[in-house]
Amino acid sequence: MKYTLLLFWATILLHSSISAQSATISVTGEVAHPLQLSAADIAAMKKVTVQATDRDGKAHSYTGVPVADILQRAGVTMGAQLRGENMSKYLLIKSGDGYEVLFSLPELDAAFTDRVVILASQVDGQPLPEGKGPFRIVVPGEKKPARWIWEVTAMTIRFAKE
Amino acid sequence: MNKRWLLLWFGMAALLFTGSRWLPMPEPYVPVYPANFGNRLNIPADNPLTKEGVLLGRMLFYEPLLSANNKISCGSCHQQQRAFTDGKKFSTGIDSIPTERNSMSLANLLWVRHFFWDGRVESLEQQALTPLTALHEMGQPLDISASKLRRSQRYTALFNAAFGNSNITGDQIVHALAQFERTLISANAPYDRYLAGQYQLPPAGERGMQLFMTAPDPGKKIRGANCAHCHGSPKLYMELFHNNGLDSLPLDPGREKLTGLAADRGRFRIPTLRNIALTAPYMHDGRFSTLEEVLDHYSEHIIQSPSLSPVLRNTSNDMNGTSLKLSRSEQKDIIAFLQLLTDSTFINNPQFSNPFN
Repeated sequence: MKYTLLLFWATILLHSSISAQSATISVTGEVAHPLQLSAADIAAMKKVTVQATDRDGKAHSYTGVPVADILQRAGVTMGAQLRGENMSKYLLIKSGDGYEVLFSLPELDAAFTDRVVILASQVDGQPLPEGKGPFRIVVPGEKKPARWIWEVTAMTIRFAKE
Repeated sequence: MNKRWLLLWFGMAALLFTGSRWLPMPEPYVPVYPANFGNRLNIPADNPLTKEGVLLGRMLFYEPLLSANNKISCGSCHQQQRAFTDGKKFSTGIDSIPTERNSMSLANLLWVRHFFWDGRVESLEQQALTPLTALHEMGQPLDISASKLRRSQRYTALFNAAFGNSNITGDQIVHALAQFERTLISANAPYDRYLAGQYQLPPAGERGMQLFMTAPDPGKKIRGANCAHCHGSPKLYMELFHNNGLDSLPLDPGREKLTGLAADRGRFRIPTLRNIALTAPYMHDGRFSTLEEVLDHYSEHIIQSPSLSPVLRNTSNDMNGTSLKLSRSEQKDIIAFLQLLTDSTFINNPQFSNPFN
């Protein structure tokens, strides 16, 4: 019994010591400035709030940073530069659980669309629920939330190969 | 004039030399698979599939000389009749010390992008290094394996045919093994034939498939088991890592050990369900010995924890349930469907069998 208890506490200690890392988001690939964004970096960026309907069928208000702003900061060819061969670039977003979703750049660019895709950190004024945070993509108006990828860890810009 | 002749002579000699080195080029091996598996293959540029490489890899897969006691091969813990598993909770290698995790089934690895239960390596070449050299598995450094193969008469010509030289190096050993493993394609289960329109599901299997593919929604009276959320697609797995509610404080931290992130606690690879009826015991630690126990876990015993998969949170056929809450007959139907994922041509394919038998 004593040993079981000891093992229990040792396991807790071990777990807390190896969990000191915190999540960051990398922005790499076809970028002028690769980024490694910490939660503090993202908290310091300008936020917007959008209305969108999740899988539960209910409308919620999501607050976060427009993905376009993150791409601008990394020096991705957005805005006036989004023409010519840059039209064949894409953004691949990766989750900590391995899931991946893709956006073309014009889907995210205010020169092409009024829809603002965000990297949300709050839902209805609260932090995102356990398992879906700390950052989740929200795509207002999209009927199926399959691209609302949670636990975002990486954004990669690439040229389509063919 | 003399100089020119000399140059010409050297040129011809060089041509002949390179010609004789390169003439017996290995023949490309073209894997055959259904279109619905997709073409996102994981083949490193420096190790294309060749017929000679695959043949050599098959022999090495079953070669006990690659172990420190000359008794264990890859095939010891990955037996074809069990869809390349060994039926044990944990495997034993050259000594009696068990491995830390359950031996994984090998099928359709050509598409896999992260190997091991925690996904820590990204190629079969890197994967093979661990069981070959780990102290309690085959326990032999690669250079010793290479020198043992050099001493055996059997391999000189085979390495020459596969790699254009008979140096026999550790790199060549793992390259050949990876090539063979990439050919272990399973695509002829009754479910594959059903998808191809060549097989009619029996009623229990069809009911099971319906539950497998459907997310439960008790508010709308929709019953389901939501298995496909992670095990969907014709390949029957997705390249994902989830905590499936086995423990609140897992003894084996899974991917957390790799990343140090609390979100990765108790997260493991989502394994393929292909040939699942043949690959007991189940889970990374082999804790469940039957499919009935597995279904019972998802139905009744999902343990809540901060890193529990969001897909398994509050996913239930009961209002406010925290586990799936499937009826006994629903569980039986799902198992009937899982049995239709067994590919008997795969486990009997002579191209995958032990060539020394």
